[in-house]
Amino acid sequence: MNSRQSHINQIERWANFVRNNPTTWKKAHTQFINALFQKNEEVIQRILKTPHGKEKIIELYNIKNIEGYSWLK
Amino acid sequence: MIVIREISDRNILDQFCEEFCAIVERHCQYIIVSGFLAIASGRTRGTEDIDMIIERINLEQWKIIFNELDKRGFICMQTSSFEEAYDYLKDNTSIRFTRKDKPLPEMEIKFAKDILDKYQLDNRLKIKLTGLDVWFSSVNVNIAFKEELLKSQKDLEDARHLRIVFNEDLNEEEIKKIKLMIKRFRL
Repeated sequence: MNSRQSHINQIERWANFVRNNPTTWKKAHTQFINALFQKNEEVIQRILKTPHGKEKIIELYNIKNIEGYSWLK
Repeated sequence: MIVIREISDRNILDQFCEEFCAIVERHCQYIIVSGFLAIASGRTRGTEDIDMIIERINLEQWKIIFNELDKRGFICMQTSSFEEAYDYLKDNTSIRFTRKDKPLPEMEIKFAKDILDKYQLDNRLKIKLTGLDVWFSSVNVNIAFKEELLKSQKDLEDARHLRIVFNEDLNEEEIKKIKLMIKRFRL
């Protein structure tokens, strides 16, 4: 089995778990989603401490309304 | 199917989406489309933005929404002017909002632009499995868009996930009909 087929199989296994366990899938899912954003937040804080950190964040997220984000001023 | 879920189950995307939608809901019709439906239905992948389509409203209505979003801690990434933001929407260009203290997640908003968007708004629904008090475009519509128009690996995987999770609720005739509409109006 190639890695693509293995990935599709994994997607199908998880989708079947969600379908068959409508009250229990959410806890693990929430931990997964929150972990992505928590990691992102940690990286943003680290970038802000680097030279020109604010400019990097502004460019990364294509922020035009800089005045609206007091922490970027 | 009744899904009993604790508030603490809400993840960061869920909370962001519900708070944002509750504000928009008071002033116009909206739908959440595309990737967030798959994610809110259990797909385990990341996203930076949630896509929202709203009915075409006038400048005065938009001003009320824009100001209320501002009051509730949301900021437009492109501009602090509601008029300029409205110009983007009128030109069928999306505008993006985040919380004022974070660059992520984003809500990306567009005006409904054609008969397909109108169809989605007219057939919007709340989806119990998600546990969210949010209007979505239907699962059938989302599958049709992902399989017929978007077609990236990520989109096809989203469609596969939706097909399995909502298997009993799918309407293949409607999916076919929407794919034909996509061919006619978007391709």
